[in-house]
Amino acid sequence: MLVYIIRRVALMVFVLWGVSLAAFLISHALPADPAAAALGNNAREEQLTAFRERNGLDRPLAVQYGLYMTELVRGDLGSSLRTQNPITADLRQFFPATLELTLGAVVFAVLIGVPLGIVAALTQGRAPDLLARTFALLGGATPVYWLAILALNVFHEKLGWLPGPGRLDAYSLPPPVKTGLVTIDALLVNDREVFVDALRHLILPGLVLGMFSAALLTRMTRSALLEVLSQDYIRTARAKGLTRARVVARHAMRNASLPILTVLGTLFGSLLTGAVLTETIFSWPGIGGYATTSAISLDFPAVMGVTLVAGLAYSVVNLLVDLLYAVFDPRISYS
Amino acid sequence: MRHSIKAALTAALSLSLLSTAGAQSSRQSTLVIGGDFSDLITLDPGVSYEFSGSLVTGNLYDTLVAYEGNNLSTLRPRLASSWTVTPTSTGSRITFKLRDAKFSTGRPVTAADVVYSVNRAINLKTPSSFLYTDVANLKVGSVTATDAKTVVFDIPKTANPNIVLALLTFNIGGVIDSAEAKAHETNGDYGSAWLKDHSAGSGPFVLNRWDKSAQVALDVNPQAFRRSPNIKRVILRYMLESSAQQSAVNSGEIDVAMNYTPDAFKDVAAAKKLKTQKADSFLLAYLGMNSAKGMPFEDARVREAVRYAIDQDGIISGLLQGLGRKTQTIIPIGLAGSDAKIYYPYNPDKAKELLKAAGKGDGFSVDFFVSTGSCAGGVPCADLAAKIQADLAKVGIKANIKQMVNSELLTAYRAQKAPLVQVSWSPDYPDADGNGTPLSDYNAKSLAWRNGWQNADASKLAQSAAIETDAAKRLNLYKQLTALMAKDGPFAILYQPSRPIVIQPNVSGFNQNANGDVQFEKISKK
Repeated sequence: MLVYIIRRVALMVFVLWGVSLAAFLISHALPADPAAAALGNNAREEQLTAFRERNGLDRPLAVQYGLYMTELVRGDLGSSLRTQNPITADLRQFFPATLELTLGAVVFAVLIGVPLGIVAALTQGRAPDLLARTFALLGGATPVYWLAILALNVFHEKLGWLPGPGRLDAYSLPPPVKTGLVTIDALLVNDREVFVDALRHLILPGLVLGMFSAALLTRMTRSALLEVLSQDYIRTARAKGLTRARVVARHAMRNASLPILTVLGTLFGSLLTGAVLTETIFSWPGIGGYATTSAISLDFPAVMGVTLVAGLAYSVVNLLVDLLYAVFDPRISYS
Repeated sequence: MRHSIKAALTAALSLSLLSTAGAQSSRQSTLVIGGDFSDLITLDPGVSYEFSGSLVTGNLYDTLVAYEGNNLSTLRPRLASSWTVTPTSTGSRITFKLRDAKFSTGRPVTAADVVYSVNRAINLKTPSSFLYTDVANLKVGSVTATDAKTVVFDIPKTANPNIVLALLTFNIGGVIDSAEAKAHETNGDYGSAWLKDHSAGSGPFVLNRWDKSAQVALDVNPQAFRRSPNIKRVILRYMLESSAQQSAVNSGEIDVAMNYTPDAFKDVAAAKKLKTQKADSFLLAYLGMNSAKGMPFEDARVREAVRYAIDQDGIISGLLQGLGRKTQTIIPIGLAGSDAKIYYPYNPDKAKELLKAAGKGDGFSVDFFVSTGSCAGGVPCADLAAKIQADLAKVGIKANIKQMVNSELLTAYRAQKAPLVQVSWSPDYPDADGNGTPLSDYNAKSLAWRNGWQNADASKLAQSAAIETDAAKRLNLYKQLTALMAKDGPFAILYQPSRPIVIQPNVSGFNQNANGDVQFEKISKK
């Protein structure tokens, strides 16, 4: 097991290096000047030259890459051209917000997708199944931005049930930053009011972002369960006189959970990076917005930083999913 | 399984029904503004250069002199209780007498703090340092303290003291508590790393905290001489999307929304449930026409033809829903030196005649560089470009739209590679020279240069107008310059946009001036 993990981590480093090289080459291939983007329309020639010198943009590409990699090995992602902050500081600030939103989305996706899938499989061909499949189709086909605007308009503006954009009520100050996850930080200082407020703010964007995943999970759960339910051992279990619920929960779901887990793993990775639109519409101060602003302003080091962190998160989640296989299925062992 | 679903549903429901009652009490004294503050990089007045930076630092720091409200032509005392301008053998001298004011730290504001703040901005070589070094021609040592309450600015002949006074109203003129800045200095940065997200000024507010991309929270400064009647806290919430601002202002979550789209703004204004304000700006949206040798706009008659061909009224009423003013010369309405004359009434036939006279009777084809995203006044750049393209097509000019991100467009424009470009410009300080020099003097290597347009008369006029201290003579020089630019220049001015602001009915005193500044201490909430 340990050897397997070490091998996977080594592979991960190699993949991340590839990602960084690709990101570096792509971002530097653009026919635009980051100095002009950072200093704006009114900047003068001397300012631009000074900026390029200060940030090493006047060096040859190979030298820039070499310098970047040397710093990277030391764990330094460099400084943002736009904010002039260390990238690591920026990421530490924006990543927790995205993580919190993503976790919320995953929770909603599981809470909606798995039960719906089970219901659909058990009522195959009948009305509940049809409804669940319609949901799966709609949920998978509805654009996130449209859903986000609709949700805001209905549940926030018209009905007033849920709060609007942002992570907290506009009138309350956020808790002191410890983890960066507002819900956790509120619990740490024992502020129940802010905790509830933060949780309520998570509902709409979490649901919107989780909708696509919920739809996919519904479909995956349904088909995985249907396949398992037709197996011989299920028939045996039923023949032994076990109740239908017990068979599904104890026997069928355990075996159907592997494909669901796989989907969940990849979903988590894509959610983390795919939060851009949800974050923009819900004014969620996460990494999605940071990545967009950085890309528009040709902030290469920031874009590279986001890419690397996204790649890292994706790889780590995938590794965890693979390791969980062994937990769920005793037949799988990594040796 | 069923049990856990039920539990989750109950939890979700109870969460949605819980109200945030505790926050009600602070609502009266807290002002929440929603807007696109994504350009906020630093709150250090010596470094900040962007719109949002100016908006915030203007409330954290005091400048020596300032403009009050919408009057951007009369200087008012702020930290300086009085000032005098006297000619000297080397140029001129401005002597400021300071009022009794205190920083938020409790320390008195002294002449030494002013000297420190100016030298600091010069030494830091920030994006706005050029205002002191290039425009005001100041060096370290040019500004001195003769006693604790007197500051002297010695200005060389090459700079105009009136322009120096105008640029002192900008962020860079903010006076910093020098003891506080020195206490937080690291690696000779004059405290700029610390001042990025802390405040040490004498303005009506102090910085509580800045959560990047989320919000900026300001608290009232009890030491300030400018005070708000009942606002204790101002929160600037990042809401990039106009739709988010609309839903937040409709639900009462925010008091002020700063970035409505023209269409949505028109609807709100018609509904009359919320207050609306069309705030002026000094922004000019224009077409840049490359006039270098061999370029399609080399002939002045072609440039004139374009100006006749553009349907400005159609753009303002159709695309901007009235959120813009018609102007045709290089100095925006509202600054002394601007020219209200309409040189080019919409006339496609006249345009065709001019093209014919220039030997391009069959029209021609040109690449048209357009930014992605939103243009001045909140109009999608693509929509504006489509309208321009249609207008030009009517006189036989085929504009091939090339859309690119703004940074890419700017790079091409800076390299003189844009044949026809759709952009905007706003002056760095509220003075005609903020547009006069960059738009008409080729030697300034700014906009005239980018469009390959060189005219010795224009350069000379811009330069003499910049240093002319006699107000009447100066206006006359700008009159000549604007007329020359309208006739021969490389620009077709499209419009001067207004900023759409939506305000809750219980909020009064919110006013954004053409510089984009808002005096938060003048706002009150019922």
